[in-house]
Amino acid sequence: MQHVANLARREEARQEQVAIEVANLSHVYAGAQGAVPALEDISMRVGAGRFVVIVGPSGCGKTSLLMMLAGLRSQGQGTILCHGRPIPDPDPQRVGVIFQEASLYPWLTALDNIEFPLSLRGARDRETREERRERAEAMLKLVGLEGFGERYPHELSGGMKQRVSIARGLVQDPPVLLMDEPFAALDEQTRMTMGHELLRIWSTTSKTVVFITHSLTEAVYLADEVLVMSARPGRIIDRIPVALPRPRSYEMMATDVFGQLRERIWQQIRKTP
Amino acid sequence: MKIVVARLALLALVLAAWELLPRHQIVNPLLLPPLGDVLGMLGELLQRPQVHLAIGVTAAEVVVAFVIAVPLGAALGVLIAENEYLGDVFKPVLFYVFSIPKSIFLPMFILVFGISFAQKVAYAAFTTTFVVMLSAAAAVESVKQDYLLVARSYGATRTQILLRVYVPSMMPLLLEALRISMIFNFTAVMIAEMYASRAGIGHLIAGWGENFQMRQLFAGVILLAAVAILFNETVRTLEARCSTWRT
Repeated sequence: MQHVANLARREEARQEQVAIEVANLSHVYAGAQGAVPALEDISMRVGAGRFVVIVGPSGCGKTSLLMMLAGLRSQGQGTILCHGRPIPDPDPQRVGVIFQEASLYPWLTALDNIEFPLSLRGARDRETREERRERAEAMLKLVGLEGFGERYPHELSGGMKQRVSIARGLVQDPPVLLMDEPFAALDEQTRMTMGHELLRIWSTTSKTVVFITHSLTEAVYLADEVLVMSARPGRIIDRIPVALPRPRSYEMMATDVFGQLRERIWQQIRKTP
Repeated sequence: MKIVVARLALLALVLAAWELLPRHQIVNPLLLPPLGDVLGMLGELLQRPQVHLAIGVTAAEVVVAFVIAVPLGAALGVLIAENEYLGDVFKPVLFYVFSIPKSIFLPMFILVFGISFAQKVAYAAFTTTFVVMLSAAAAVESVKQDYLLVARSYGATRTQILLRVYVPSMMPLLLEALRISMIFNFTAVMIAEMYASRAGIGHLIAGWGENFQMRQLFAGVILLAAVAILFNETVRTLEARCSTWRT
């Protein structure tokens, strides 16, 4: 009972907390033909533990936005707060980034790839080698790749590589995960399976996720809320709450609600020139 | 396995032809002495103090030139790859110069350094630096931006990015650069020695050629070929180890 009460309390606290807050963010970058406005007046608020998906046409600045949220790119005007504080530089304790599959280091085994972020802390951290190894192994197990730790990336399938990539993003246990089209390079079937897997992992870790994709089906399937961005300069032109119950199942894709949500996003996207 | 057998068969065929064709006067033995005679001469040459001295001189030239050219070329290569401005300015010029046969500069090296050890080293280092520089620049540029982004997102320091991302990522290309630059380096020393010198294997070979001492000449060729192949294969073995993660 105590456990249930704790869970309920945590759930409450989570909903009150804001993980990411972006206010009036605009960004102009210097192109070859002068200044190009990339992002225009972006405001968004992501509650802790929520799964938010951003969709939009190519070149709308989705990735720029994500890089700014990660502290990997200097931001323009406006404010970005991550758990209440600005994020001018990458901070792996607060934000983990998961890239496309090709970002694994081919000279490291799956396990060493997962351990890489921990090993960077090296002397700055009291954790011993064994403890780091244990944590990397726990992550490998979490993403369902037990026994594949000694394989090199080129010996793994696309889906397995992406699992390793997710494990690497989770290993430092950051409260926020940013994912930049992580499944874009996968075939359709693997992509669906990986989406489902991601939801399973997400439900056991209670992370806040901001996920970028081109796939409308993927967006609706994964999200608590879908943000639709316009073509350059990127603005948020619609915010669509997804009220489908969790856990999600493949059958839901065939429902009317799912179809309507997907249609609404599509109508918004095709409006943009 | 079949491939290995075929290769060995090819080698045996060539060696047998080298032995038998001159032996039976099908090929003029004055121009191509039989393999057995050449190997006998090689054994004899390796006894001579004069040859020992020549090997020592050549080896020293090759090593010193290599030790100068590799770090110098690597540093310059990294510089033009990493610094966009320097790269834009120097790269086209370097590509132009790279396309010129370096041997035409040999007379200038003789004028500056005289016919000496320093002249061989300077000329070989000059030639080799270009190869190393362009290979090193290519190696730096081969590092995927994604790899750097990942490391940065996990809070890697500049030193960590250099040692943990750049170095392993460039390793296969660097080893290849090392191997190819040694080929150029060795060639440059040989050309310099054969062109004008008083010592070294190249000098001996040029002399044997001029005096029509074909057994000595071919013995020298076998000796050099053996050394060159040995170095090449050693580095290639290292490369093969890295090739598991080569992308």
